[in-house]
Amino acid sequence: MMLGVLYSGGKDSTLALMKAKESHEMACLISIVSQNEESFMFHTPNIDITLLQSQAMELPLVRVVTKGEKEKELVDLKRALTEAKSRFKIEGVVTGAVRSTYQASRIQQLCHELDLWCFNPLWLKDQVELLSEVVERKIVAVIGGVFAESLDESYLGKPIDAKMVARLAKVAAVYHINPAGEGGEIETTVLDAPVFKKRIEITKSDKKFANGSGLFTIVDAKLVSK
Amino acid sequence: MILIISLCKEKISEFEFVRPLEKLVGKCAVRNVRDVKENDIRDAKKIILSGTALADFEYLNHDFSWLKKTEKPVLGICAGMQVIAQAFDIPLEKKTTIGVKSVEVIKENKLAEGSFNAYFLHTLTGSGDFDVLATSEGVPCMIKHPKKEIYGCIFHPEVMNEQIIARFLER
Repeated sequence: MMLGVLYSGGKDSTLALMKAKESHEMACLISIVSQNEESFMFHTPNIDITLLQSQAMELPLVRVVTKGEKEKELVDLKRALTEAKSRFKIEGVVTGAVRSTYQASRIQQLCHELDLWCFNPLWLKDQVELLSEVVERKIVAVIGGVFAESLDESYLGKPIDAKMVARLAKVAAVYHINPAGEGGEIETTVLDAPVFKKRIEITKSDKKFANGSGLFTIVDAKLVSK
Repeated sequence: MILIISLCKEKISEFEFVRPLEKLVGKCAVRNVRDVKENDIRDAKKIILSGTALADFEYLNHDFSWLKKTEKPVLGICAGMQVIAQAFDIPLEKKTTIGVKSVEVIKENKLAEGSFNAYFLHTLTGSGDFDVLATSEGVPCMIKHPKKEIYGCIFHPEVMNEQIIARFLER
Protein backbone atom coordinates (compact mmCIF):
# COMPACT_ATOMS: atom_id res chain seq x y z
CA MET A 1 0.00 0.00 0.00
CA MET A 2 1.27 3.49 -0.84
CA LEU A 3 1.24 5.62 2.31
CA GLY A 4 1.75 9.24 3.30
CA VAL A 5 3.07 10.10 6.74
CA LEU A 6 1.66 12.99 8.73
CA TYR A 7 5.08 14.34 9.58
CA SER A 8 5.96 16.93 12.21
CA GLY A 9 9.70 16.31 12.07
CA GLY A 10 9.79 14.90 15.59
CA LYS A 11 10.64 11.50 17.07
CA ASP A 12 7.09 10.09 17.05
CA SER A 13 6.28 10.69 13.39
CA THR A 14 9.76 9.44 12.42
CA LEU A 15 9.35 6.25 14.46
CA ALA A 16 5.84 5.74 13.02
CA LEU A 17 7.26 6.19 9.51
CA MET A 18 9.98 3.61 10.15
CA LYS A 19 7.48 1.05 11.47
CA ALA A 20 5.16 1.61 8.49
CA LYS A 21 8.03 1.33 6.02
CA GLU A 22 8.67 -2.25 7.19
CA SER A 23 5.51 -3.43 5.43
CA HIS A 24 4.42 -0.61 3.10
CA GLU A 25 5.79 1.88 0.62
CA MET A 26 6.22 5.51 1.65
CA ALA A 27 5.05 7.95 -1.03
CA CYS A 28 5.35 11.31 0.74
CA LEU A 29 5.57 13.30 3.94
CA ILE A 30 2.64 15.54 4.85
CA SER A 31 3.39 18.53 7.09
CA ILE A 32 1.00 21.07 8.49
CA VAL A 33 2.64 24.36 9.42
CA SER A 34 0.50 26.02 12.08
CA GLN A 35 0.82 29.74 12.73
CA ASN A 36 -1.03 29.32 16.01
CA GLU A 37 1.24 28.47 18.93
CA GLU A 38 -1.77 27.27 20.93
CA SER A 39 -2.93 24.73 18.32
CA PHE A 40 -3.76 21.36 19.91
CA MET A 41 -3.40 19.64 16.57
CA PHE A 42 -0.27 20.82 14.86
CA HIS A 43 1.97 23.33 16.56
CA THR A 44 5.57 22.13 16.54
CA PRO A 45 8.76 24.11 17.03
CA ASN A 46 11.22 23.81 14.12
CA ILE A 47 8.48 22.60 11.72
CA ASP A 48 10.43 24.16 8.83
CA ILE A 49 13.10 21.49 9.29
CA THR A 50 10.70 19.11 7.48
CA LEU A 51 11.92 20.74 4.24
CA LEU A 52 15.44 19.42 4.95
CA GLN A 53 14.15 16.12 6.37
CA SER A 54 12.22 15.40 3.17
CA GLN A 55 15.42 15.96 1.17
CA ALA A 56 17.37 13.79 3.62
CA MET A 57 14.85 10.95 3.17
CA GLU A 58 14.42 11.64 -0.55
CA LEU A 59 10.66 11.73 -0.03
CA PRO A 60 8.45 14.48 -1.46
CA LEU A 61 6.82 16.84 1.01
CA VAL A 62 3.22 18.05 0.92
CA ARG A 63 3.34 21.21 3.02
CA VAL A 64 0.25 23.18 3.94
CA VAL A 65 0.23 26.33 6.06
CA THR A 66 -2.71 26.85 8.44
CA LYS A 67 -3.68 29.78 10.62
CA GLY A 68 -4.39 27.10 13.21
CA GLU A 69 -7.90 28.20 14.12
CA LYS A 70 -9.79 25.39 15.87
CA GLU A 71 -11.67 23.15 13.42
CA LYS A 72 -10.64 25.37 10.45
CA GLU A 73 -7.19 23.78 10.67
CA LEU A 74 -8.91 20.49 9.91
CA VAL A 75 -10.03 21.95 6.59
CA ASP A 76 -6.36 22.67 5.86
CA LEU A 77 -5.38 19.14 6.91
CA LYS A 78 -8.06 17.76 4.60
CA ARG A 79 -6.61 19.90 1.79
CA ALA A 80 -3.15 18.41 2.47
CA LEU A 81 -4.45 14.82 2.54
CA THR A 82 -6.44 15.42 -0.64
CA GLU A 83 -3.33 16.76 -2.37
CA ALA A 84 -1.24 13.79 -1.19
CA LYS A 85 -3.90 11.39 -2.44
CA SER A 86 -4.16 13.04 -5.82
CA ARG A 87 -0.42 13.71 -6.43
CA PHE A 88 1.11 10.60 -4.91
CA LYS A 89 -1.77 8.10 -5.09
CA ILE A 90 -1.62 7.33 -1.39
CA GLU A 91 -4.13 4.81 -0.09
CA GLY A 92 -3.48 5.45 3.57
CA VAL A 93 -2.04 7.81 6.18
CA VAL A 94 0.38 7.04 9.02
CA THR A 95 0.45 9.17 12.17
CA GLY A 96 2.59 9.25 15.30
CA ALA A 97 -0.47 9.59 17.58
CA VAL A 98 0.12 7.95 20.95
CA ARG A 99 -2.65 8.88 23.34
CA SER A 100 -4.60 11.91 22.15
CA THR A 101 -8.13 10.84 21.25
CA TYR A 102 -8.71 14.50 20.23
CA GLN A 103 -6.07 14.32 17.48
CA ALA A 104 -6.62 10.68 16.54
CA SER A 105 -10.38 10.93 16.11
CA ARG A 106 -10.12 14.01 13.90
CA ILE A 107 -7.55 12.38 11.64
CA GLN A 108 -9.58 9.15 11.55
CA GLN A 109 -12.66 11.17 10.52
CA LEU A 110 -10.82 12.90 7.67
CA CYS A 111 -9.31 9.62 6.43
CA HIS A 112 -12.79 8.10 6.49
CA GLU A 113 -14.20 11.00 4.46
CA LEU A 114 -11.37 10.68 1.93
CA ASP A 115 -11.54 6.87 1.74
CA LEU A 116 -8.01 6.48 3.12
CA TRP A 117 -6.68 3.89 5.56
CA CYS A 118 -5.37 5.33 8.83
CA PHE A 119 -2.49 3.70 10.70
CA ASN A 120 -1.29 4.72 14.18
CA PRO A 121 1.55 2.31 14.99
CA LEU A 122 2.46 4.03 18.28
CA TRP A 123 -1.12 4.06 19.62
CA LEU A 124 -1.27 3.45 23.40
CA LYS A 125 2.43 2.60 23.49
CA ASP A 126 4.10 3.00 26.88
CA GLN A 127 5.96 6.30 26.68
CA VAL A 128 9.22 5.16 28.26
CA GLU A 129 9.22 2.16 25.89
CA LEU A 130 8.59 4.57 23.03
CA LEU A 131 11.60 6.71 24.02
CA SER A 132 13.75 3.58 24.36
CA GLU A 133 12.68 2.41 20.91
CA VAL A 134 13.66 5.80 19.46
CA VAL A 135 17.14 5.26 20.89
CA GLU A 136 17.35 1.57 19.88
CA ARG A 137 16.35 2.38 16.31
CA LYS A 138 19.09 5.01 16.12
CA ILE A 139 16.81 7.99 15.61
CA VAL A 140 18.84 11.08 16.48
CA ALA A 141 16.39 13.55 17.99
CA VAL A 142 17.10 16.70 19.98
CA ILE A 143 14.75 18.47 22.36
CA GLY A 144 13.36 21.50 20.54
CA GLY A 145 11.01 22.70 23.22
CA VAL A 146 10.08 22.19 26.88
CA PHE A 147 6.65 23.17 28.16
CA ALA A 148 6.37 21.87 31.74
CA GLU A 149 7.52 23.38 35.02
CA SER A 150 9.56 20.31 35.89
CA LEU A 151 11.64 20.65 32.71
CA ASP A 152 14.23 23.43 32.70
CA GLU A 153 16.61 25.11 30.24
CA SER A 154 19.17 22.32 30.61
CA TYR A 155 17.03 20.01 28.41
CA LEU A 156 17.00 22.33 25.40
CA GLY A 157 18.96 21.06 22.39
CA LYS A 158 19.95 17.84 24.20
CA PRO A 159 19.70 14.53 22.33
CA ILE A 160 17.23 11.78 23.28
CA ASP A 161 19.78 9.15 24.30
CA ALA A 162 19.70 6.40 26.92
CA LYS A 163 20.76 8.87 29.63
CA MET A 164 17.99 11.31 28.64
CA VAL A 165 15.40 8.52 28.58
CA ALA A 166 16.32 7.62 32.17
CA ARG A 167 16.25 11.30 33.18
CA LEU A 168 12.82 11.91 31.60
CA ALA A 169 11.43 8.70 33.11
CA LYS A 170 12.59 9.82 36.55
CA VAL A 171 11.13 13.32 36.20
CA ALA A 172 7.87 11.87 34.85
CA ALA A 173 7.54 9.55 37.84
CA VAL A 174 8.03 12.40 40.33
CA TYR A 175 6.06 15.18 38.61
CA HIS A 176 3.44 13.07 36.79
CA ILE A 177 4.23 14.35 33.32
CA ASN A 178 4.32 12.31 30.12
CA PRO A 179 7.96 11.25 29.66
CA ALA A 180 7.71 11.21 25.85
CA GLY A 181 5.90 14.54 25.81
CA GLU A 182 2.52 13.21 24.67
CA GLY A 183 0.84 15.99 26.62
CA GLY A 184 2.99 18.60 24.88
CA GLU A 185 5.60 18.67 27.67
CA ILE A 186 8.50 18.26 25.22
CA GLU A 187 8.87 18.57 21.48
CA THR A 188 11.70 17.01 19.52
CA THR A 189 13.39 17.51 16.17
CA VAL A 190 14.97 14.60 14.29
CA LEU A 191 18.37 15.21 12.72
CA ASP A 192 19.18 11.68 11.57
CA ALA A 193 17.66 8.20 11.37
CA PRO A 194 18.33 5.01 9.40
CA VAL A 195 15.75 6.21 6.82
CA PHE A 196 17.77 9.40 6.26
CA LYS A 197 20.22 9.16 3.37
CA LYS A 198 21.93 12.32 4.65
CA ARG A 199 21.96 13.73 8.15
CA ILE A 200 21.11 17.26 9.27
CA GLU A 201 23.80 19.40 10.83
CA ILE A 202 22.72 22.45 12.81
CA THR A 203 24.92 25.44 11.92
CA LYS A 204 23.10 28.08 13.93
CA SER A 205 20.67 27.79 16.81
CA ASP A 206 19.06 29.87 19.49
CA LYS A 207 17.85 29.03 23.00
CA LYS A 208 15.16 30.93 24.85
CA PHE A 209 13.74 30.02 28.25
CA ALA A 210 11.25 32.01 30.28
CA ASN A 211 8.27 31.41 32.58
CA GLY A 212 8.68 27.65 32.76
CA SER A 213 8.97 26.95 29.05
CA GLY A 214 11.68 27.18 26.45
CA LEU A 215 12.59 26.71 22.82
CA PHE A 216 15.67 25.46 21.06
CA THR A 217 15.22 27.03 17.63
CA ILE A 218 17.18 25.81 14.63
CA VAL A 219 18.06 29.01 12.80
CA ASP A 220 20.20 27.42 10.12
CA ALA A 221 21.02 23.85 9.18
CA LYS A 222 22.40 21.87 6.26
CA LEU A 223 22.49 18.32 4.96
CA VAL A 224 25.77 16.45 5.24
CA SER A 225 26.87 13.02 4.06
CA LYS A 226 26.65 10.14 6.50
CA MET B 1 -4.37 -19.36 28.32
CA ILE B 2 -6.18 -16.28 26.97
CA LEU B 3 -6.38 -16.22 23.17
CA ILE B 4 -6.40 -12.91 21.32
CA ILE B 5 -7.57 -13.23 17.73
CA SER B 6 -6.34 -10.35 15.58
CA LEU B 7 -8.91 -9.31 12.98
CA CYS B 8 -6.37 -7.04 11.26
CA LYS B 9 -5.77 -7.49 7.55
CA GLU B 10 -2.66 -5.29 7.69
CA LYS B 11 0.14 -6.21 10.07
CA ILE B 12 0.81 -2.56 10.87
CA SER B 13 -2.73 -2.28 12.33
CA GLU B 14 -1.76 -4.83 14.99
CA PHE B 15 0.44 -2.21 16.69
CA GLU B 16 -2.73 -0.20 17.21
CA PHE B 17 -5.43 -2.79 17.90
CA VAL B 18 -3.67 -5.91 19.20
CA ARG B 19 -0.50 -4.84 21.08
CA PRO B 20 -2.48 -2.70 23.58
CA LEU B 21 -4.67 -5.76 24.33
CA GLU B 22 -1.62 -7.98 24.77
CA LYS B 23 -0.21 -5.47 27.23
CA LEU B 24 -3.44 -5.51 29.28
CA VAL B 25 -3.90 -9.28 29.18
CA GLY B 26 -0.31 -10.26 29.97
CA LYS B 27 0.53 -13.88 29.20
CA CYS B 28 -1.56 -14.84 26.19
CA ALA B 29 -1.57 -16.44 22.76
CA VAL B 30 -2.10 -14.22 19.71
CA ARG B 31 -3.28 -15.51 16.34
CA ASN B 32 -4.27 -13.63 13.24
CA VAL B 33 -7.75 -14.56 12.00
CA ARG B 34 -6.11 -16.00 8.87
CA ASP B 35 -4.05 -18.45 10.93
CA VAL B 36 -6.31 -19.44 13.83
CA LYS B 37 -6.77 -23.22 14.16
CA GLU B 38 -9.41 -25.34 15.85
CA ASN B 39 -7.02 -26.35 18.61
CA ASP B 40 -6.25 -22.66 19.35
CA ILE B 41 -9.93 -22.20 20.19
CA ARG B 42 -10.07 -25.52 22.07
CA ASP B 43 -7.02 -24.70 24.22
CA ALA B 44 -8.14 -21.17 25.09
CA LYS B 45 -9.64 -20.35 28.46
CA LYS B 46 -11.16 -17.11 27.21
CA ILE B 47 -11.06 -15.41 23.81
CA ILE B 48 -10.78 -11.76 22.80
CA LEU B 49 -11.55 -10.71 19.22
CA SER B 50 -9.66 -7.50 18.42
CA GLY B 51 -10.73 -4.41 16.51
CA THR B 52 -9.03 -3.24 13.34
CA ALA B 53 -8.63 -0.20 11.09
CA LEU B 54 -11.77 1.68 10.10
CA ALA B 55 -11.14 0.96 6.39
CA ASP B 56 -10.65 -2.79 6.99
CA PHE B 57 -13.60 -5.12 6.32
CA GLU B 58 -11.71 -8.28 5.42
CA TYR B 59 -12.56 -9.92 8.76
CA LEU B 60 -16.19 -10.20 7.63
CA ASN B 61 -15.11 -12.82 5.06
CA HIS B 62 -13.79 -15.28 7.66
CA ASP B 63 -15.62 -18.20 9.24
CA PHE B 64 -16.71 -17.55 12.82
CA SER B 65 -19.32 -20.34 13.00
CA TRP B 66 -17.36 -21.77 15.98
CA LEU B 67 -18.83 -18.91 18.05
CA LYS B 68 -22.22 -20.63 17.95
CA LYS B 69 -20.78 -23.85 19.37
CA THR B 70 -18.26 -22.57 21.90
CA GLU B 71 -18.91 -22.43 25.63
CA LYS B 72 -15.79 -20.29 26.20
CA PRO B 73 -16.21 -16.68 27.35
CA VAL B 74 -15.65 -14.35 24.39
CA LEU B 75 -15.22 -10.58 24.22
CA GLY B 76 -15.51 -9.01 20.76
CA ILE B 77 -14.20 -5.47 20.46
CA CYS B 78 -15.55 -3.31 17.60
CA ALA B 79 -14.87 -5.49 14.52
CA GLY B 80 -14.95 -8.36 17.04
CA MET B 81 -18.50 -7.42 18.03
CA GLN B 82 -19.43 -7.27 14.35
CA VAL B 83 -18.24 -10.83 13.70
CA ILE B 84 -20.14 -12.03 16.78
CA ALA B 85 -23.27 -10.37 15.37
CA GLN B 86 -22.66 -11.93 11.97
CA ALA B 87 -22.11 -15.39 13.47
CA PHE B 88 -25.48 -15.17 15.23
CA ASP B 89 -27.25 -13.91 12.08
CA ILE B 90 -27.71 -10.41 13.46
CA PRO B 91 -27.86 -7.91 10.59
CA LEU B 92 -25.15 -5.22 10.62
CA GLU B 93 -26.34 -1.69 10.02
CA LYS B 94 -24.28 1.23 8.73
CA LYS B 95 -23.59 3.58 11.61
CA THR B 96 -20.39 5.60 11.76
CA THR B 97 -19.14 6.78 15.14
CA ILE B 98 -15.66 8.24 15.58
CA GLY B 99 -14.35 9.80 18.78
CA VAL B 100 -15.13 10.00 22.48
CA LYS B 101 -18.82 9.55 23.40
CA SER B 102 -20.70 8.93 26.63
CA VAL B 103 -21.92 5.44 27.46
CA GLU B 104 -24.72 4.49 29.82
CA VAL B 105 -25.04 1.01 31.27
CA ILE B 106 -28.73 0.01 31.19
CA LYS B 107 -28.53 -3.62 32.33
CA GLU B 108 -26.56 -4.95 35.26
CA ASN B 109 -23.59 -6.97 34.09
CA LYS B 110 -20.14 -8.02 35.24
CA LEU B 111 -18.11 -5.85 32.83
CA ALA B 112 -19.31 -2.29 33.41
CA GLU B 113 -21.60 -0.09 35.46
CA GLY B 114 -22.89 3.50 35.56
CA SER B 115 -21.94 6.10 32.96
CA PHE B 116 -18.54 6.70 31.40
CA ASN B 117 -16.81 8.05 28.31
CA ALA B 118 -15.43 5.67 25.69
CA TYR B 119 -13.56 5.84 22.38
CA PHE B 120 -15.52 4.78 19.29
CA LEU B 121 -14.18 3.96 15.83
CA HIS B 122 -16.64 2.02 13.69
CA THR B 123 -18.91 2.16 10.64
CA LEU B 124 -21.10 -0.91 11.30
CA THR B 125 -23.03 -2.18 14.29
CA GLY B 126 -25.86 -4.53 15.24
CA SER B 127 -27.40 -6.00 18.39
CA GLY B 128 -30.31 -8.23 17.25
CA ASP B 129 -31.75 -10.37 20.04
CA PHE B 130 -28.65 -10.13 22.26
CA ASP B 131 -29.12 -8.44 25.64
CA VAL B 132 -28.26 -4.74 25.40
CA LEU B 133 -25.99 -3.92 28.35
CA ALA B 134 -25.15 -0.31 27.47
CA THR B 135 -26.10 2.38 24.98
CA SER B 136 -24.49 5.53 23.61
CA GLU B 137 -26.80 8.24 22.29
CA GLY B 138 -29.57 5.62 22.42
CA VAL B 139 -27.70 3.10 20.26
CA PRO B 140 -26.61 -0.27 21.74
CA CYS B 141 -22.85 -0.32 22.29
CA MET B 142 -22.36 -3.28 24.68
CA ILE B 143 -24.25 -6.51 24.11
CA LYS B 144 -24.29 -10.04 25.55
CA HIS B 145 -25.56 -13.36 24.33
CA PRO B 146 -28.76 -14.13 26.35
CA LYS B 147 -27.29 -17.34 27.79
CA LYS B 148 -23.57 -17.55 27.03
CA GLU B 149 -20.65 -15.45 28.23
CA ILE B 150 -20.27 -13.88 24.79
CA TYR B 151 -19.90 -10.11 24.94
CA GLY B 152 -19.69 -7.48 22.22
CA CYS B 153 -18.35 -4.00 22.78
CA ILE B 154 -18.52 -1.66 19.79
CA PHE B 155 -16.23 0.94 21.41
CA HIS B 156 -12.55 0.32 22.22
CA PRO B 157 -12.26 -0.38 25.97
CA GLU B 158 -8.46 -0.64 25.70
CA VAL B 159 -8.30 3.14 25.12
CA MET B 160 -10.26 4.59 28.07
CA ASN B 161 -11.95 1.68 29.87
CA GLU B 162 -9.28 -0.90 30.65
CA GLN B 163 -11.34 -2.16 33.61
CA ILE B 164 -13.84 -3.72 31.19
CA ILE B 165 -11.10 -5.99 29.89
CA ALA B 166 -9.81 -6.66 33.41
CA ARG B 167 -13.30 -7.71 34.54
CA PHE B 168 -13.73 -9.97 31.52
CA LEU B 169 -10.46 -11.68 32.44
CA GLU B 170 -11.46 -12.18 36.11
CA ARG B 171 -12.31 -15.74 37.08
